[in-house]
Amino acid sequence: MNEGIPDASAPIQRVSIYDPTLRDGHHAVRHQLNADQLRHYAAAADAAGMPVVEVGHGNGLGASSLQVGRAALSDDEMLSVVREQLTHSKMGAFLLPGWGTIADLKKAISHGVDVVRVGAHCTESDTMERYLDFLRANDVEAQSVLVMSHMASPERLAEECRQMVGFGATAVGIMDSSGHYLPEDVSERVAAIAAAVDVPVIFHGHNNLGMSVANSVAAVRAGATVIDACARGFGAGAGNTQLEVVVPVLERYGWSTGVDLYGLLDAADLAERELMPQPPTIDSVGIVSGLAGVFSGFKARVYDIASQQQVDPRDIFFELGRRQAVAGQEDLIIDVALDLAKRAA
Amino acid sequence: MAGQNGIDDLGGEGGRMKVAVLGSGLIGLDLLAKIERSKFLDCRMVVGRDANGRGLRKAAELGYGTTAGGVSSLGADGQAFDIIFDATNAMSHIEHHKHLESLGALVIDLTPSRMGHMIAPTVNGADASTHRNVSLISCGGQTSIPILHALTRVYSPSYIEIVTTAASLSVGRASRLNLDEYIDTTQAAIRAFTGVNDVKVMLNISPAEPPTTFRVAISMVGDDFDVDVIRKHVTTVAEEIRTFATGFDIAACSVLDGKAFVAVEVKASGDLIPHYSGNLDIINSAAIFVAEQYAAGRVA
Repeated sequence: MNEGIPDASAPIQRVSIYDPTLRDGHHAVRHQLNADQLRHYAAAADAAGMPVVEVGHGNGLGASSLQVGRAALSDDEMLSVVREQLTHSKMGAFLLPGWGTIADLKKAISHGVDVVRVGAHCTESDTMERYLDFLRANDVEAQSVLVMSHMASPERLAEECRQMVGFGATAVGIMDSSGHYLPEDVSERVAAIAAAVDVPVIFHGHNNLGMSVANSVAAVRAGATVIDACARGFGAGAGNTQLEVVVPVLERYGWSTGVDLYGLLDAADLAERELMPQPPTIDSVGIVSGLAGVFSGFKARVYDIASQQQVDPRDIFFELGRRQAVAGQEDLIIDVALDLAKRAA
Repeated sequence: MAGQNGIDDLGGEGGRMKVAVLGSGLIGLDLLAKIERSKFLDCRMVVGRDANGRGLRKAAELGYGTTAGGVSSLGADGQAFDIIFDATNAMSHIEHHKHLESLGALVIDLTPSRMGHMIAPTVNGADASTHRNVSLISCGGQTSIPILHALTRVYSPSYIEIVTTAASLSVGRASRLNLDEYIDTTQAAIRAFTGVNDVKVMLNISPAEPPTTFRVAISMVGDDFDVDVIRKHVTTVAEEIRTFATGFDIAACSVLDGKAFVAVEVKASGDLIPHYSGNLDIINSAAIFVAEQYAAGRVA
């Protein structure tokens, strides 16, 4: 296990970078990326030597909906456009059981998906069994992540991850979906998971409290070897771990990523130019959602409804946190706003 | 005490419908509690596959006849049943429905197998008298379909979307293995009951502590929605459903940007299951309602 900066005599440890810019970034633009945007970024990430480029609606395969937002492109269109651009990078997709189905996996497989991440809320890993089985039976690399992971204890997360490995996941880990963690939280959880499983451990950060790069470093120190990060942090809410920052930071610490620095910086510049109206910033609502432990992806919807109902979006986030709303429960936002408006009247 | 359908006692245990329950998971155990309260139903057998499983042991403790011999053991000793509730899982129901039908009982399927005739009690409950295998669709279907059925008689939405959220502790093993079947069956039922083709169903299982109450969010895209008209209809439907599932409540009702939105929350009405498990309560209450209506028809 890594205990910090590797000394010069130790063999260089490898960290694998997983790039969900074209999936998580969709949350920041209401799932409206077009084919040219996907094409250009995928080509740039491929040229930079990114191990995996993930694409899809923000909530994954089959998730285009009123609840989370309807995507401009179908899953078929997104997968086929990105596939054409990837010569070295693997193509990744994300599936939340209950949102996407086996039929969606079949579609992704028909488009040549290489890696599928199956996700579930932090205590629900047994919902993933059928999907992991199906992927394994079809020779697709099946990884498995726990969403909203701050809602479960390190021991519980480790136990869930052990179960995911039993279902056939080839890498397992946690998402800090609310950007709630501090580095110590990450260290404790990743260490517990790394001790429980013998497959690579994944960490996926969000930057609501400005800690995502530090959290990713903490994760690697505690034994994670797969780090998720997005160009310019393009992702839900306050954004994800910033890809072009975390890669050189990890390299400075002595871990090898195999990603080309200039290629990476070019891809990130392209992302800022072509994918987003502006790079994600940690705004007031981002901070509040991180503090409240609410899914960052609620941000756009919270802003919409807050202005319609004339209530403070920060109050909505704190109330959602009190109700322990989880990703996927966007329908609670209206209830909360109506309640707050009624109380204020 | 009058029965839940307002009919009189059938005359003691001898007059009750003989019932078997397949499955001893969360749904099966709650069904037993509801059957126990019914004046018209008498549970004679609980069928499981693991004699040492928690569910079957619990059923035996409560004094019910149990067998771990699976579905094939049902009827093997010549014992006859009037009604069989299938609370196993969709794959099992597909495998054993022929055997169940051969027993001559009314089969009430609580799994999302999509095999039998689909019933939502307040909409077409009487159909149970003319079909031998009836499907109760799903918990999300039982919660949303009566509302959607009422609203699609007033409006012609182009799209319907349902998101259900159930507490982690209220979702058993079989349900967790049947998420795709839940989605497919609920979507098919909504299409059939509303005539709207473009339907999407999704579900969340929430790890929140304390557990969150079962909730179904219904959205429709269409023209000319009037929030007062919608509220009037859903209030009426909720009152009808509360006659057999008392914890059924409208949590929100709004019209924004050409989209109508109704959120329903269902609390479980006591018995053995915690109050947040409205997902179990709504489908089991529907099952008991259908069974009692069938019983009433048989003695009439």
